[in-house]
Amino acid sequence: MSRLRILPALKALIAIKPKQKLTAQYLLSLFIAIVLAFLVGAGIMLLCGYDPIECYAALFRGALGKPRAFGNTLAKTATLCLTGLAMSVAAKAGIFNVGGEGQLYFGGLAAAVVGARLAGAPAWVIVVCALLAAVFAGGLYAWVPGILKVKLKVNEVVTTILLNSAAIYFCSYLTNGPLKTAERGISSGTDSIAVSFSPIIRLSNLNGSIWIAFAAALIIWYLMTRSTAGFEMKITGANERFAKYGGIRADRLMIAGMVISGMLCGLVGMIEVFGIHKRFITNLSAGYYFDGMLVAMIMRYQPFGVIVMSFFFAILTIGGSAMELSAGISGEVILIVQAVIIFFMAAEGGIRQSLRVWSAKRRVKRTHAKEAGV
Amino acid sequence: MSDVFNLLLLQNTLRTATPVVLCALGCLMTERVGIMNIGVEGMMLMGAFFAVLGSYLYGSWVMGIVFVIVLGILLGLFYYLFSIKFRSDEFVIGVAINILAGGLTVFLLRTLFGVKGSFSGPGIVPLPTLHFTWLESIPVLGTILSGNTLLVYVSWVLVILCWLLLYKTPLGFHLRASGEAPEALRAAGKNPDRMKMLASVLCGIMASLSGAHLSLGYLTMFSENMSASRGFVAVACVIFGGGNPPRVFLAALLFGFIDALGLRMQKYIPADITAMAPYVVTVVMMVVVVLMKRRKKRQPQEGR
Amino acid sequence: MTENAPIVRFEHVSVRFPSALANDDVSLAIRRGEAFALVGENGAGKTTLMNVLYGLVRPALGTVIIKGEKISQRHDPMRAIAMGVGMVHQHFKLVPSFTVAQNIALGSEPVKNLVFYDQKRLNREVLALSKRFGLPVNPGDVVDDLSVGLQQRVEILKALHRGADILVLDEPTAVLSPAETDELFEVLRSIVREQSMTVILITHKLHEVMQFSDRVGVMKQGRLVGIVNTSETDEKQLAAMMVGRELLFRDLRAGEPSDREVLTISGLRAMDDRGLEAVKGIDLKLHAGEIVGVCGVEGNGQTELTECIMGIRPQTGGTVTLNGRNISRLKPREIRGMGVSFIPSDRMRTGLSAEATVMENMLVGKQRQTEFRRFGVQFRKRRATSYAKALSEQFDVRSGGVDLPMKSLSGGNMQKAIIAREFSFDTPVLIINQPTRGVDIGAIEFIHEKILQKRAAGCAILLVSADLDELFRLSDRLVTLYEGRLTGSFVNGEITRQEISYYMTGGRQEVRA
Repeated sequence: MSRLRILPALKALIAIKPKQKLTAQYLLSLFIAIVLAFLVGAGIMLLCGYDPIECYAALFRGALGKPRAFGNTLAKTATLCLTGLAMSVAAKAGIFNVGGEGQLYFGGLAAAVVGARLAGAPAWVIVVCALLAAVFAGGLYAWVPGILKVKLKVNEVVTTILLNSAAIYFCSYLTNGPLKTAERGISSGTDSIAVSFSPIIRLSNLNGSIWIAFAAALIIWYLMTRSTAGFEMKITGANERFAKYGGIRADRLMIAGMVISGMLCGLVGMIEVFGIHKRFITNLSAGYYFDGMLVAMIMRYQPFGVIVMSFFFAILTIGGSAMELSAGISGEVILIVQAVIIFFMAAEGGIRQSLRVWSAKRRVKRTHAKEAGV
Repeated sequence: MSDVFNLLLLQNTLRTATPVVLCALGCLMTERVGIMNIGVEGMMLMGAFFAVLGSYLYGSWVMGIVFVIVLGILLGLFYYLFSIKFRSDEFVIGVAINILAGGLTVFLLRTLFGVKGSFSGPGIVPLPTLHFTWLESIPVLGTILSGNTLLVYVSWVLVILCWLLLYKTPLGFHLRASGEAPEALRAAGKNPDRMKMLASVLCGIMASLSGAHLSLGYLTMFSENMSASRGFVAVACVIFGGGNPPRVFLAALLFGFIDALGLRMQKYIPADITAMAPYVVTVVMMVVVVLMKRRKKRQPQEGR
Repeated sequence: MTENAPIVRFEHVSVRFPSALANDDVSLAIRRGEAFALVGENGAGKTTLMNVLYGLVRPALGTVIIKGEKISQRHDPMRAIAMGVGMVHQHFKLVPSFTVAQNIALGSEPVKNLVFYDQKRLNREVLALSKRFGLPVNPGDVVDDLSVGLQQRVEILKALHRGADILVLDEPTAVLSPAETDELFEVLRSIVREQSMTVILITHKLHEVMQFSDRVGVMKQGRLVGIVNTSETDEKQLAAMMVGRELLFRDLRAGEPSDREVLTISGLRAMDDRGLEAVKGIDLKLHAGEIVGVCGVEGNGQTELTECIMGIRPQTGGTVTLNGRNISRLKPREIRGMGVSFIPSDRMRTGLSAEATVMENMLVGKQRQTEFRRFGVQFRKRRATSYAKALSEQFDVRSGGVDLPMKSLSGGNMQKAIIAREFSFDTPVLIINQPTRGVDIGAIEFIHEKILQKRAAGCAILLVSADLDELFRLSDRLVTLYEGRLTGSFVNGEITRQEISYYMTGGRQEVRA
């Protein structure tokens, strides 16, 4: 007889669910975690012989100090917010999309190809077509792991991670091969696109795409928190078996969550291409999706929280590179600060519990000591 | 095509598979106690960095390995603290470790060595290669099996040790029980968390060692993000190896073979396609494993 | 120590849980070598009291004296085991992929060559142990493949292997067939007699108390309300002590079922989660206004049968027909749409979502009704909330508010919430699996009344239960299920409990559909 045993960890992983809501207590913990993380960052700076106050001042100045910097921060917020919502919308439906990076690349490439091929058409036609192409490409690339998960129960976390690398190499192959451009640039890429978004603030990355991002974020927020489909997604994410039993089309919703997630990532790719690079380049994203994913996890997949937290993380990211230029310290220290925030927030419940136990023990000891004294 | 399909291909397979084998063994340990550690990717990356650091600072590969083992123990304890003690989402912690690894290695690379991108130099002492004269006298096998770097052999020994540990010792029974039925173990008066700690530490050590092989065995340099998703491939290997060390080893070898084949096919196929192959193949393999299980299940079995 | 000196003495034990006082000043002495039964309703504090003995729960006040020795401040299972206490829990604590011997020795495996585990020696030890206590097992069998009865035997052997002479069994018969139950009690009695063991049985089934014990302690709402010699009491008196009043089980059925066939199952086959055939060709007809009770020991295909009807589990053969339409290949959503509701046995896994709110749980299935939708997309949360409140009131679901997570409710209230949701669909067919498991007596009566109201309204009801009393009380017709096949079909009132338990264990094959 064959015994089909699911590995225990796989079971545990399947059981990971978007759990609690954002409570006041959680937000307080978040604040403390951020302060602590900054202190850890300060410690590292001191160790390396930098003045933390000066570094942090440089960070905030670099992110918010000038209109141009502020523009960059806002543009970054849009990216983080869209990727964060992409993670959230899938996770709420009970499926994890860790493959946003690959979907982003495909979306960007599709947008760039359409943008270049349609040269001569009216600007709005190009933008709309590129948008559709990007969204379609990203969604399609997310649909594959989604359908594998739902129909065959192939772990989506692992497949999406692996498909990231596959997509990045494949796009690189296309840009170095069939889509190779005659133009010269720092890195290899496709032909330039015919139209692009013009910056809203001069010299900054903030451009017309922010409106598209804003609209997309609004739609996702509505979908997740106000719609019937959002209700069904939430039920599915919390207990898939229950959802199916209750007559919800859980399979379809999970695939939909994944595809919407992929579409958002494709959109981010398009924004990168149309807003910043004006063509597809082989290193289009520096892990943008992973940054957004973390924002989503910290904010427990709550859309509004993700939007707010994106702004904060954008400050850190944009400020980080400015800090490197003005204070001389490597900007990666900010990645460490971010990781520390994540560690604290992921462990928030456990740490609070441990603290409670610890203080209870101390109280007992103190009363014992008092009794002994009397 | 004889320049592709020759003995060197098999030797390369062993070399490219080794980091995945080591990492997968580590991942397997946590898998068996019920934690899926996707932080092995970051652990591998940090291992790669600290191996170079130790080797460079003391001019000795031994110190590189010592650094890595200490790092592995610390990472294991850290992982245990957060994912078990504080009962956090292990998936989030794994991702956070990967982020931390990316940030920390680049930060240290710039602060300590003052370089960007990658660090190499004559100061780094690579792992020794081992030659076995008795092995080399065998015609074909000798060429493939002898003359590899230290960690290649260590990984083979570890496959056997892990298997013995899990299936032949009481400790292994407790490890497996702590993943499969922690309550049973607790009722037996053993603390499942202890077993999880042990598994985390073993995982930390092996995942870090896999990084050491990357930076001191495979190449003699450290470069940013040099683990290149191998940790994730290792996780996939554990899944379709069914949590059994020899089967996981075979899965990792298959990955190594495709990787090595790709490198050697670059003359014929664009490099990007060959680089992509291992990841696509891994995904396809995951699907095939599920389909095979399905077919087995579909044949009805009468009675008990 | 004299023969009759207490081996275990609870002294003024109180245990406080966040929600309630689980044990309230309990003092109890258990003698060496006696078969002691502890009875009480669900939530009366029986298990908690024994968990104190076993070191799983620490008392807020009072202490326990085992063999003249006070338990320490840090009493835990390890120390309890060392003092000779063994406990067989309601949910077995076994490692499914390990063999019988490996499970029995978990934590104290014999070792050879310093590090390796010594399988041969262990298997010999286990065989000797099983012979000595008259509990035959095969040490090399993998536990996952064993029947529930055998798994329980492994649990008992595990406790004995560690040298327990005080054996606590928590509701051991819930998963056993009547024959297995008899066998278990026989073995336990012989252990008590011949090995001078002390056995403490936690149960809420009174006939088991009468069958097994020398003395019985009755618990109610955390208090020990009486200790009596079994020979000097009867079930009625014990029941009165348990609930504080004489239970009057009224006959609630009224009216006759119609001849109209609603649900027809023919030749149904299905597999369980492990890929073994669990339903092996079932033929069954359900008429309007009729309750068909499925009797059987748990794990004989009941869950698979009900899940198949609902479309949750794929069928491997046969058909299910609803009002003349074949629904075998349909999805749960479509089957619900055609008028079937389902109360599953595994509440926490299928019946509800513990993390979702009470409102969300109660509304699932209705979220697409126009009443709760605006513009065809928007969810009308306020309306849903007031609807859930009204439904809670109607079905007496007590919660701290409908926007709290479901897991904050007690077991009985969770079950009432599920019943409220399923009954509110007003479907002509109801599939009900274990409606009252883990529910207190007051709620049981309420649930029974609701089910019978549905019958009176002309619903066709398939009722699966492990509780024969419940089935006899509610059903019009009784069928017995054994190893995935129907072994008998009877009109209620024409068969006795003893006869039916014979069919439940595969005694006779007689199928009249």
